Amino acid sequence: MKTYSIYSSKKIGFAIMSLLLILGCQNDFSDLQEAKYSVNPDVFIDTFSPGLNFAAFGGTVVTGFQVDGNVSYNKSPASMRFDVPNVNDPEGAYVGGSYFTSVGRDLSGYDALTFWAKSSQSSTIDVIGFGNDFGANKYQASISGLALSTVWKKYIIPIPDPSKLKIEKGMLFLSEGPENGKGYTFWLDEVKFEKLGTVSHGQSSILNGTDKVETSFIGVTKTIDGLISTFNLPNGVNQSVNVTPAYFVFTSSNPAVATVDELGKVTTIGSGTAVITAKLGDVLAKGSLTINSAGTFVNAPTPTQDASKVISIYTEKYPNVPVDYYNGYWAPYQTTKSADFTVNGDNVLNYTNFNFVGIQFSAPTVDASVTSHLHIDIFMPNAIAAGSSFKVQLVDFGADGVAGGSDDKSSTVTFASPTLVTKSWIGLNIPLSNFSGLTSKTHIGQIIFEGTNITNFYADNIYFYNDGSIIPSVPTTVAPTPTALSANVLSVFSDAYTNVAGTDLNPSWGQATVASQVLIAGNNTLKYSGLNYQGIVLGSAQNVTSKTYLHLDYYTSNSTSLKVYLISPGPVEKPYVLTVPTGPSPSVNGWRSIDIPLTAFSPVNLSNIIQLKFDGNGNIYLDNIYFRN
Amino acid sequence: MKNYLLNKRYALLVTLVFVLMLSMVSCNPEAVQKVEQRNWQLTWSDDFEGAAGVLPDATKWTFDIGNGGWGNQELQYYTNRPENVSLDGTGNLVITAKSESFGGSSFSSARIKTEGLFTQAYGRFEARIKTPYGPGIWPAFWMLGANNQTAVWPQIGEIDIMELKGHQPNINHGSLHGPGYSGGNAITDIYALLNDRFDNDYHIFAVEWDADKIDFFVDNYLYERVKKSDVNSKGEWVFDHPFYLILNIAVGGNFVGFPTAQTPFPQKMMIDYVKVYQ
Repeated sequence: MKTYSIYSSKKIGFAIMSLLLILGCQNDFSDLQEAKYSVNPDVFIDTFSPGLNFAAFGGTVVTGFQVDGNVSYNKSPASMRFDVPNVNDPEGAYVGGSYFTSVGRDLSGYDALTFWAKSSQSSTIDVIGFGNDFGANKYQASISGLALSTVWKKYIIPIPDPSKLKIEKGMLFLSEGPENGKGYTFWLDEVKFEKLGTVSHGQSSILNGTDKVETSFIGVTKTIDGLISTFNLPNGVNQSVNVTPAYFVFTSSNPAVATVDELGKVTTIGSGTAVITAKLGDVLAKGSLTINSAGTFVNAPTPTQDASKVISIYTEKYPNVPVDYYNGYWAPYQTTKSADFTVNGDNVLNYTNFNFVGIQFSAPTVDASVTSHLHIDIFMPNAIAAGSSFKVQLVDFGADGVAGGSDDKSSTVTFASPTLVTKSWIGLNIPLSNFSGLTSKTHIGQIIFEGTNITNFYADNIYFYNDGSIIPSVPTTVAPTPTALSANVLSVFSDAYTNVAGTDLNPSWGQATVASQVLIAGNNTLKYSGLNYQGIVLGSAQNVTSKTYLHLDYYTSNSTSLKVYLISPGPVEKPYVLTVPTGPSPSVNGWRSIDIPLTAFSPVNLSNIIQLKFDGNGNIYLDNIYFRN
Repeated sequence: MKNYLLNKRYALLVTLVFVLMLSMVSCNPEAVQKVEQRNWQLTWSDDFEGAAGVLPDATKWTFDIGNGGWGNQELQYYTNRPENVSLDGTGNLVITAKSESFGGSSFSSARIKTEGLFTQAYGRFEARIKTPYGPGIWPAFWMLGANNQTAVWPQIGEIDIMELKGHQPNINHGSLHGPGYSGGNAITDIYALLNDRFDNDYHIFAVEWDADKIDFFVDNYLYERVKKSDVNSKGEWVFDHPFYLILNIAVGGNFVGFPTAQTPFPQKMMIDYVKVYQ
């Protein structure tokens, strides 16, 4: 048997009296604790509160804010009036600014910023809140999309955690643009901080309330986002408040594995598992980040191609082209998620739960016809199961530049073991010629990865490049400048030396070739268009027995056959086969330099050379034709 | 069997008996109460002790089940499922209103009563409750006359000890319904919390009822006294027979209005105990 004595009557009475005192006199500052900083709750009652400054945001109509003595709430002397401009107002695009004090105030005794407001038409304020001090804006909180009506109503912006606002300068800020292109006017009045007690059930979330699990490495950093704070207003309606990270206290369950700073930046520093959680005030936020750290990360090798030969989709080394997305989340069949990470400043794509995923760059598409290869570095953190394959597909959107038009071309290249290895970067250099169905390369818009038995991989350094085999039809640079000493040279065609006088560069031998001299980057260059054969008649017979080589610089993007001949009377001639086209190394910018031993032309009489001849096909550029020691 | 005694509950020296809400917020401390001393003997109670997820004690409570608006255009379907009404394992009964399609309604909830199990005329009826909130949410702790076999509402009488509109979560309504004063014309008064809400913490809602009057209390503060003579000036005093207890959350309805997209769901009413004294 228990006996309960419920409440001594004295206690009840005392409690009631205390209640009356406290509740009835809340605005009497003398009742509050003495504070180092002003606890003045007023922002704008009938005028600016003491110490309050105003600064308009850049791009606003500077005169858009006025103190209005005509319209006010409850017939008070004045209100704050905001005149939103029409679209294209030359004076500014919107109204807005911050009201701040130069010395901070202690707002920790309040739980909300409140004000009365009305507008000349129903409208939605883009953003309004407090904590903007034109500095770090550390404890900024705001409401997006606050709906106003044409009658005065009271609005409440909850303070996510009042205990943080011990020295706050940002009293009020707002920003609002035209509604449907039209300007209008709205008013605020009785703007002040209050201790309402009726802003309740504060809940907060990180990572939008989800529990995320991520693979990580030493040096990986990630910032916790998806910060939300929700309060139930005195009318029972939930209100979301935009919050800054500083309101949260972030915690790592294992600081030896991962640390988290006050801005929610997580840095992995060891191997193992750590769970990052956060509190807002005393309340644990929904959502967490579990870091599974595999220890030290080996970065993908830094690309070594010359930047001028690269079209970069995803690298740090080269400027990337505009990319629509690195994961299109293509519904309904794609399962692939992204868990991209950054290790010591190196960004890495990480595709988890992988079946297929597309990277798109459609605005503009990429003209890859000037490149020869696609490079991708991939890393498979898991063991390579039997039957695993990894496919790379390129999609050309065609002239219409859009996916799914009638002119799309695509082709896929497949990789399997032994190319695929685990826990080591796999550098794929895929010749574009291997994409056999990719008959157009001028409007490439997508790279698609597809996998079998590969659930997770990292990717880095995705770029098209030219190994030199793809050269323009017309040289963009001059032929290499000769280095042989003049004394050792007998020149046929070169600006660097004195040429054999009277030489006919275009003798009429019945050829179809159109021979001409053109300027390439300001340098005189011999051009054979539509070569079948073409002769050069020296101004006088030359004895080259004292020379060792015939030197040529030649350039062709389209020839598949090219030979050079020396001719002595008889005629006695001998061809020498030249490698064409001239794209790949050792060519420089498409120019190939060759020193042909004169012995190669035997049995031509080297003491009596009268002509040179080329035959073959294509368009040929020639320069620096000379004999040398 | 437990024996509860309330000693000298209202012996405080005071000056004013009826104090309305406005006088409570005054800075002047003269507004205090004098209420006569009583001795109450516990006649019925439920502390809701038990394992989590268990339905309330079937020897004390029965269920109203179904939809149809319950005379008020309410939107919920009342069930006897644990997800709508069950103990929480820490000594509370939880009634949960959910936004879900159930039995042709858009919301589910629960309404439990002592009809047929316990009724009493006169005494003190109290419950310690933390209320739900949000537009369209209508929690109540109330009583109906047990003579509904021989009479119909409002003749049977209704005493609303706690009734609250979810969009005004700081205001409790205490009301009497009877012939000549029912529905929107009920005898009612409110008790409002200043700078607080009934859903932030538990509060004690009670009536003390005798043959001549009914007093309404929140946290043992008398905020409304309705005398038999007051009632007779409007209609007929029907509070002379046993009543049974009801606890429920309605969703929507004439009293509260309708839920909006911004109404947070689920909503829970936490009941620490219900006690009845003679």
